[in-house]
Amino acid sequence: MISQQLLYAIAGIGLFTIGLRATLLHQQLLPRLLSLNVCGAGVFLTFIAIAYQGPDAVADPVPHALVLTGIVVAVSALAMAVALGRRLRMLDDE
Amino acid sequence: MNNLIVWVIGIPLLASLLTIIWPRRANVIALLTALACLLASILLTYQVHAGGPITHALGGWASGLGIALRIDAFSALLLLMAMLVVSAASFYANAYFADPLKQVRFWPLWLMLIVAINSLLLSGDLFNLYVTLELLGLSAVALTALSDNRAALQAAIRYLSIGLLGSLVFLAGVAFIYAGYGTLDLLQLAELARPDALTLVALALLSAGLLIKAALFPMHFWLPAAHASAPAPVSAALSALVVKVSVYILVRLWLDVFDPALSPAATLLLGILGGMAVIWGSWQALLAQRLKLMAAYSTVAQLGYLFLFLPVIVALPAGELRDNAFGALLLLALTHGFAKSALFLGAGVIQQQAGHDRIADLGGTARALPLTTFIIALAGIALVGLPPSGTFLAKWQLIASSIHSQQWWWIPVIAAGTLLATAYLFRVLGHAFGPGDSVGKVVNWGREEIPALTLALFASVILGLGSAGIWDLIVDGRIY
Amino acid sequence: MIDLLWLMVDALLVTLLLILGWITCASTDIKRGITLFTAFGLLLALIWARLRAPDLALAEAVIGAGISGALLLRAINDHKPLGSSTPQRSAWMTWSINLMALALFCVMSWSMWLTLDQVDSTRLSQLVLSQLDDSGVSNPVTAVLLNFRAYDTLLELAVVLTAVLAILALSPMRSAFQPAGVLLTGMLRWLVPVLIVSAGYLLWVGAHAPGGAFQAGAMLAAAMILLHQGGYHSGSGLNLMLLRVLLVIGIALFVGIGLVMMLLNQSFLDYSPGWAGLLILVIETAATVSIAAALTLAFVGGRPDGWEPVTDSSNPSNSAEFNS
Repeated sequence: MISQQLLYAIAGIGLFTIGLRATLLHQQLLPRLLSLNVCGAGVFLTFIAIAYQGPDAVADPVPHALVLTGIVVAVSALAMAVALGRRLRMLDDE
Repeated sequence: MNNLIVWVIGIPLLASLLTIIWPRRANVIALLTALACLLASILLTYQVHAGGPITHALGGWASGLGIALRIDAFSALLLLMAMLVVSAASFYANAYFADPLKQVRFWPLWLMLIVAINSLLLSGDLFNLYVTLELLGLSAVALTALSDNRAALQAAIRYLSIGLLGSLVFLAGVAFIYAGYGTLDLLQLAELARPDALTLVALALLSAGLLIKAALFPMHFWLPAAHASAPAPVSAALSALVVKVSVYILVRLWLDVFDPALSPAATLLLGILGGMAVIWGSWQALLAQRLKLMAAYSTVAQLGYLFLFLPVIVALPAGELRDNAFGALLLLALTHGFAKSALFLGAGVIQQQAGHDRIADLGGTARALPLTTFIIALAGIALVGLPPSGTFLAKWQLIASSIHSQQWWWIPVIAAGTLLATAYLFRVLGHAFGPGDSVGKVVNWGREEIPALTLALFASVILGLGSAGIWDLIVDGRIY
Repeated sequence: MIDLLWLMVDALLVTLLLILGWITCASTDIKRGITLFTAFGLLLALIWARLRAPDLALAEAVIGAGISGALLLRAINDHKPLGSSTPQRSAWMTWSINLMALALFCVMSWSMWLTLDQVDSTRLSQLVLSQLDDSGVSNPVTAVLLNFRAYDTLLELAVVLTAVLAILALSPMRSAFQPAGVLLTGMLRWLVPVLIVSAGYLLWVGAHAPGGAFQAGAMLAAAMILLHQGGYHSGSGLNLMLLRVLLVIGIALFVGIGLVMMLLNQSFLDYSPGWAGLLILVIETAATVSIAAALTLAFVGGRPDGWEPVTDSSNPSNSAEFNS
C-alpha cells in the first residue's frame, strides 16, 4: 500500500514541477493556463495519494473534499482568465 | 454579540449578494456594510483586549475535524486597520466613480474583497487560508480590471497568473503538512510542529507561495503595474491590505505556528531579500515618472522593512526586547496601511482633476488642490518616518533591536531607504508646489478628500501620538 | 502476485499521465494542447477512480476535463495565434528554471518518501468516520464538504460568484452561434432532459453515494450551454431578476441557514441534530442551481442585455476617471 501511495504521491510531485516549470517558461496566456492546470492536477494527485489507504479500506475523505474544492476554484480562475484575455483582445481590435 | 467574529465575514458576504439583487442601491448598501464591519472590528478588538483571544468552532465540531475562526490581538489590530481603510476607501469610491455603470460593477466585487480580507485574517485552518487567498486574489484581479484599458488588463492577467501560481505552491505546502501531521488546524500544528525534512520543505513551499503574493523582492515584478493601473480606491486597498495580509500569514506561520522548526538562517535570507527590496523599491520609486507608479514601488520598499524585522525578532531573547521589536513590526504594518492608502487616494484626486499623474507636470497642484497636497505631504511624512508618525517609532525600534541582536548591518539599509524615501517624496512635493496650471479645481470637494485626510492623519499623527496608549495592545498581540 | 500486477498497472497509468502532462505543457500548437489537456483530464478521472475517489472521478470528468476543455476551446479564437513576436526566455533563464524544477522535484520527493511510512496514514479519516452518524449524510466526502468543513464550501461558492461577477463586468454576452442544424436540434430534444434528470439524480444521491452539488451543477450547466448553442437562448427574453436570484441563492441560503443555526445552537453552521440531512439537501439544491447559473454565464462569457440597470451610457464624459 505504501508503495502505491508513494508512487502516486511522487507522480503528483512530478506533475507539479512539470507544470510549474512550464508556467514559468511560457509567456502567453493560454499555454500558461494549461500549464497551471497541470501544475494544480499534480498537487491534487499528491493529496489523493496521501488519502489512499489500500484497495480494501475506505480512503481518507478529507483530502477528497479539499481537492473537490480545489477543482472548482481552479475552473473559476480559468474562466476568469479566459474572460480577461478575451476583453484584452476586444480592446486590441478596437 | 459573542459571535461578532462570524458577523464580520457574514455581513459583507450577504451585502455583496444584496448589491447583485438590487444594483441601484449598491452604494448605500456597501457604505452601511463598511461602517458595520468597522463597528464590529472595534468591538472585537475591545473584546480581545479585555478577554484574550477568541475562538469560534464552526459547525460546533472539534478542531481538526472542523474549521475554527480565531482572533487574537495581532489579527484584531490588523482587522481594525483594514476596516478603517476599507470604510474610508468606500466613501471615497462613492464619490470617485461618477459613472453609475462603474458603481454597479464595483460594489459587489469590493464587498467580496472585504469578505476575503476578513476571512483570511480570522482563519485558523491551513486549507481554509488557501481558499481565502484565492478569493482575495480573484476579487483583487477583478477590481484591477475595472479600469478597462489595455495597461490595466495586461497587468490584471499577469497578476492573476502569478497569483494562481503562488496559491498552487502554497497548496502544495498544505498537502505536505497534511501528509506529515494529519491535521490542518493551526493551533494543533503549533503544538505538533517538529523540525524534520518534511516540515522544512512544506514551510518552504508555503512561504514561497506567500512571498510571491506579498511581492517580496525579487518576486515583486508583477506589483507596480497592477497597483498603478487599478482605479484609485482599489489601488489603496491592494497596496495597504491585499499584499499585507499575505505577510500576515507568513509572520503567523514563522513566528507562531512553526517556530520550533525554524532556523535563524532562513529568517536571515528573508531579511536580506527585505533589505534589497527596501533599496531597489525606493530607487525605482525615485525614478518613477508617474505618481501612482511611485506609490506602488514605495509599497515594494515598505514591505521590505517588514521582512527586516524577522531575523531581528528571532535573534532576540523572549521578553521585553522581543516584545518591543514585535510591537514595532505591527506598528509599521499598521502605519503603512494608513499612509499608503491615503497616498493612493490623494493621487486619485490629482489624476481625476488633471487627467494624468505625471510627476513632472504636477505644477500648480498645491494651489489648485491644497488639501490633496496636504494629504500627500502627511502620507509622505509617515512613509519617510518623520516624527510624530508611527513609522518613526517603528524604525527607531528596529534600529535599537538590530543593535540588541547584534545585526548592525540593517542600520545602513534603513538609513539609505529613509534617505531615498525623503528624496522621492520631496520630488513630488517640489513639483506640486512649482508653477503651472495643469490641474483643475476639485468638483467633489470634501467627499473624496475627507476620507483620504482621515487616513493620512491616522498614519502621521494619531498612531504615533497614541502609540503609548495602544502599545500594550500591540505587545499583547505577540504571537510567539 | 495480484499485488504485483496492480503495481504494474499503476506504474503504467502514472507513466502515461506524466507523459501526457509533459506534452500538454510543451505543446506549441494551442489546439493540440487543449485536446491533450482534455485527454489528460480523462486519464486523471480514471486514476481518481483507481485511488478510490469516485466523487472526484465524476467531478474531474465533468468539470476538470469537460467544462475546462470547453472553456479553453471557446477561448482559442479570442486569443492571438502564436506569433513570432512573443519574446522567448533567454537560454540562461530557461536553464535556471529547469534546474530549479529538478531540484524542487528531488527535494519534495525525498521528504515525502521519508515521511509516508513513518506517520499514521489514517490521519483524519477515523475522526470523520466516527462522527459520520451525526453529520446527516452517509457519504463521507459530502459530510466533509457540507458539514465538517462546510465553511470552505461556502467560501468556494463565493470564489465562483466572484469569477462570474468579473466575467459579467468585463464584456457583453457574445452572440450565439448560427441557428442550430436539424441534427443538433433533434439531439437536444432528448439530450437536455437526460442531462437535467442526471443532475437531479447526482444531487439526490450525493447524500449516500458519489455525487453532490458540484457535479450536479456542472451537469445542469452542460444542459443550459447545449440549449444556448442550439439557439434556444434569447438575451432579452431572459428574466434578469430571476437570473440574479439564481446566481446568489446558493450562498444566500447557505449563510442564512448557518446564521439561524448560530442563533439556535451557538455556532455558525451548527445544524440541529436530526435536521442536518434535510438542511444539507436544501443547501445543496440551492448551490446546484447557483453553480449551474454561474458556469453557464462563465461559458457564454458576458452579461446579458440589461444586466446593468443603469442606462445613461449616453453620457460618456463620466468615464474620465479611468484614464490612467
